[in-house]
Parts: sequence; structure tokens; C-alpha cells
Amino acid sequence: MNTYYAANLLIYAGVDIIACLSLNLVFGVSGIVNFSFIVFQAVGAYTTAVLSLPPDSTSGYDFQHYIGGFNLPFPIPWIGGALAGGLLAIPVGFVVLRKLRSDYQAIALLVMSVIANTVITNADKFLNGAAGLALVPQPLSTQVDPSTDAYYYLYVGITAVAVVIVLIVANRIVNSPYGRSLRAMRERELAATAIGKNPVAMKMTVFIVGGVIAGLSGAILVGFIALWAPSVWLYPETIILFAAVIVGGKGNNIGAILGALLVPVGFEEVTRFIPPIGPVGLIPALQWVAIGLLIIGFLWFRPDGVRPESRRVFEGGPAREVR
Amino acid sequence: MACGPSRDGFSRAVRPEKFASVVTTPGQPMLVATDVHRHFEGMRAVDGVSIEVPRGQITGLIGPNGAGKSTFLAVLAGTLPATSGTITFEGQDITSMPAYMRARRGLVRTFQLPSEFARLTVIENLLVAAQDNRGDSLFGALMGKRYWIADERRLVERARGLLSRFGMTAKESDYAGTMSGGQKRLIEIMRALMLKPRLLLLDEPMSGVHPKIVLEIQHYLEALRAEGLTILMVEHELHMVERLCDTVVVMAQGKVIGSGTMASLRRQREIVDAYLVG
Repeated sequence: MNTYYAANLLIYAGVDIIACLSLNLVFGVSGIVNFSFIVFQAVGAYTTAVLSLPPDSTSGYDFQHYIGGFNLPFPIPWIGGALAGGLLAIPVGFVVLRKLRSDYQAIALLVMSVIANTVITNADKFLNGAAGLALVPQPLSTQVDPSTDAYYYLYVGITAVAVVIVLIVANRIVNSPYGRSLRAMRERELAATAIGKNPVAMKMTVFIVGGVIAGLSGAILVGFIALWAPSVWLYPETIILFAAVIVGGKGNNIGAILGALLVPVGFEEVTRFIPPIGPVGLIPALQWVAIGLLIIGFLWFRPDGVRPESRRVFEGGPAREVR
Repeated sequence: MACGPSRDGFSRAVRPEKFASVVTTPGQPMLVATDVHRHFEGMRAVDGVSIEVPRGQITGLIGPNGAGKSTFLAVLAGTLPATSGTITFEGQDITSMPAYMRARRGLVRTFQLPSEFARLTVIENLLVAAQDNRGDSLFGALMGKRYWIADERRLVERARGLLSRFGMTAKESDYAGTMSGGQKRLIEIMRALMLKPRLLLLDEPMSGVHPKIVLEIQHYLEALRAEGLTILMVEHELHMVERLCDTVVVMAQGKVIGSGTMASLRRQREIVDAYLVG
């Protein structure tokens, strides 16, 4: 295993872990079926890209067209990417989360994901359309040569720090009284309202926090792969992350990490080694079938996932009765 | 405890919940609904209902199925908006106030069907209702456990007091979704009490509950009244209403058709014909 492959695997794992922690917060803990999750990751990536790139009139970059091009140093593009994810959550949440019932929210968010991808694909002058943005400057690339092993280690290290920070934030939210209120809202929104909770405010808040984390995941990914195009954030990508959270265990941060390692990293990586059989495109198509079966299988046989949401037992409480 | 049967889990020396916020001004109703309407696409579920809920009493709201009792209760709690009319609570117009704000001000409802938070433990169902926890905001959560642990410990003790009082200490760490129908009713009442309510709106608290638990609920409600809590209760069990309620309001077809004590209502022919037959 060469260093690049290992770094690639670890950085994708980090990005997927951050994404799954975000989705777990929004979906697993709070019950918002955010089928447009990948859009928040994408907006983080695009924002990071245009904040890192020089203007598109610059020699060597003039083969593509995009807005901005601010050539800002690390970590400003990453912070910008994270903030962009949170900012996007405000209008989206304002439209979707206030009035719609949860199932319609899911449909509206899915439709939004499709529309956003279609718009960006066809708006050539905005973010270079279907071709996407390339040659995105990598963080600290002026200090460390990005083609060296040292840079891979550095990037893995930065990603690991981001994972730890996000995990701490997610744990603090999930294990706090606020997290309890979010879980109550997930269980019965009307009953939560009747005990003084404001579900719209709570949903908006967690949606924005989720958007910030999703944006950060996009920032990390684009910083490593140095390109971003509509083909990498099609709506099925969201389904893979949902599969990860469902397999890992909804509402459990460790479950979300486990799910990220099992599905987007493990499952996709393993199936990559299947020898090509049948017509071209059969294996990738079967991957999607397998993801679908994985979701159905878990929802049917193990709906709480590999690592179910943990039961909160308070110090000094009675031993739980055996049922 | 002012009024409590000698029964394990109820009469033990647990400090009762204080309803200190209840301002005992005799004669002044706690809640006044005036000409309240609630229409569903032309169907008048609540059709000009006006009632007063006296302070420190249990008021019963009875009537045949489809009379609009639960809808009216939902309108009072704000979970359904009124089509027209006014509702004042403690002298303040709350007609356009959202349900969560009403709950925070002490107007707390329970539901006709069990509405426990199934994947929260029994004690968590109580803790989630407490309003005075520094960790119950994004800021508080991000500040970390040290910021809110003192509040949490205090509230756990308060919740344990309620669990002990309602005889459910042993169930503290069980998921609420695994409880029986009667236990779920008790959880809802305890959850409402964690909010330190001024007025408790109970929607058929005895519905579908084992007779033994019905008696327990009755005793609990009597004790709560003795402590100064005001209750408005929708109920079908007329003998329970007779035993518990100081005043009874009768609704039929979305309107109030009478009010008074059960004894006085039994003497009114049109009410007997409409509802109290048998």
C-alpha cells in the first residue's frame, strides 16, 4: 500500500466521518430527513474552491469560468466553506422546516438537491458548469510540496484534528439536555411543543449546525482532491451517507463513525476490487443495488444499527428491570 | 401532603411539587375563553364556546363523542389555532400565542392518546420538560457538561421525587415506549408537572387505563388540587368526574349546553337527554 493510497483512504474516511456526524445530528438525533445533505457539502467545497483559487483571468486558470477567485490562504477558505454550509441552511430551513410535515420536508429537500445540481451544471459562467472547478490550490501547498509524503501526512493530520473537533461538538450536543430536547422533538414534535419546546427554532438551529459541519467536510475534500464538479455531488451520494448512519446506528455518534467506515469507505472500497464481469457499468450499478439492499436489510432486521442509540442511565438510579 | 391515600409510592415523605406560581386570588378565574370558534373547512368543531376555569379547582369538560371537547382543549393549549374568539390566561390575552409559549407560561396540556417520548427513558421524559436547565440550548450544550451539570443534578432529584410520588421509581431507566398504557398516562402527568404548571389541561387521563391505575390517577389529581394546582379535564368516566370535579362544563355539537356541579347538571332535562342518560 503506497502512501498516497493510504492517505487518500484516511482523508476520505475523515471526510465521511465528519459528514456522517453531521447527518447523524440532523437526521439521527433530530429526525430531519435531510435528503439534500450533499448540497451542503458541495456549497462548502465550492466556497472553499473560489476562496482559494485566483481570479479566473489568471494565466493557467483561464480555461475555466467562476465567480470570485480570492486566492486566500489556509484556513480562511475552510472557515468560509463551513460558514457557507451554515448560511445555506438558513434559507433552505426557512422554506422547508417551518410549515411542512416531516415527510414533505424530505421530498422538498430531495427535490432541492436535484434542482441545485441541475442549476450548477447548466450555469457555465457561475462555477464552470458540468466541467467543475480544477486546480484548486491545496492548503499550505506553498509551504509543503503537495506531491510529497510529508504533505499527505500533514493533510491526514489536519483532517484528524477536524474530525476530533467535530466529534467533540457533536458529543456535547447529543449528550446535553439540548440533545435530549432534540430527541424528544424527533420522537413526538407535538408533545414537545406542549412542554414548551419550539420545534421550528430547534430544527433551524440544528440544521444550521449540520450545514456548517457538512460545509467543512466539503472544504476538506476539495482541498485534497483539488477539483469539484456536479458529478461528485449527485443526490445518490446523500443516500450512501444515510445508509452509513442507518447501518452504524441512528442517534449514536460512535455508530455514525462506524457507519462511515463500513459503508462509504469499507463497502465502496471492497467492491472496487471485484473483477469486471458482465457489461460495462454492471459492477457500479450493482453497488447501488447493494446499498439499497443494505438499507432495507438493516431497517428490516436491525433498525437501530450496529451501535444503537445508547440508553441514558443516571447516577444513583435503580438497576434496570430485565424484560 | 394535604390529601393522599395511604399507599406505597404516594404517601411517603417526598417533598410535594410546589405550585408557588399560583396566585390564589379567590373569585378570579385563571383562564377565560370567550366565544371561541374552531372550524375545519366549514365544520364547526368548536362553535362559540365561552367558559371560565376557576383557580385552584378541578373543572370537568364532558360531552358525547364529537362534541368538540378535545378540539377545544387543543385550542386552549395553542396546539390548534382558534378560528375566532379570545382566550385570556392569568389576565393576559394568549389567543395568538404559540403553544410552546403557553406551556412556558404554565398552561400545559396532556393528550388523548399516549404521547410519551418512546426512545427516551422514563426519567428523561420528565427531565426534558424542565425549563430551567442551562444545558437546554445550543450555547449551553457547546459550553460542556460543567456548565450545566449542577442544573441537571437538581432536576434529576426533582424528577426522582415525582417518580417516587407516582410509584414509578423502579422504572426510571426503562424506555417510556415499553411502559403500559396507564404508566404512559402517569409519565405524561409527571412530565407536565416538571414544567411547574399553573393550569393543567388533561385530555381523558383515564382513557384506556386499568381500573387500578384509574384510582391512582384520581388520588394524584386530588392531591394536586389540594396543593393549589388548577386543572381542566376532559373525561368520559362520569363517576370520576362527579368525584373529582368542582365544576363541570357540558359540551355538545361544539357548544356549551350547561355548567355547574354534576348534581345540578343531572337535574337539567336537556343535558340529561343530550349526554347523561343512564
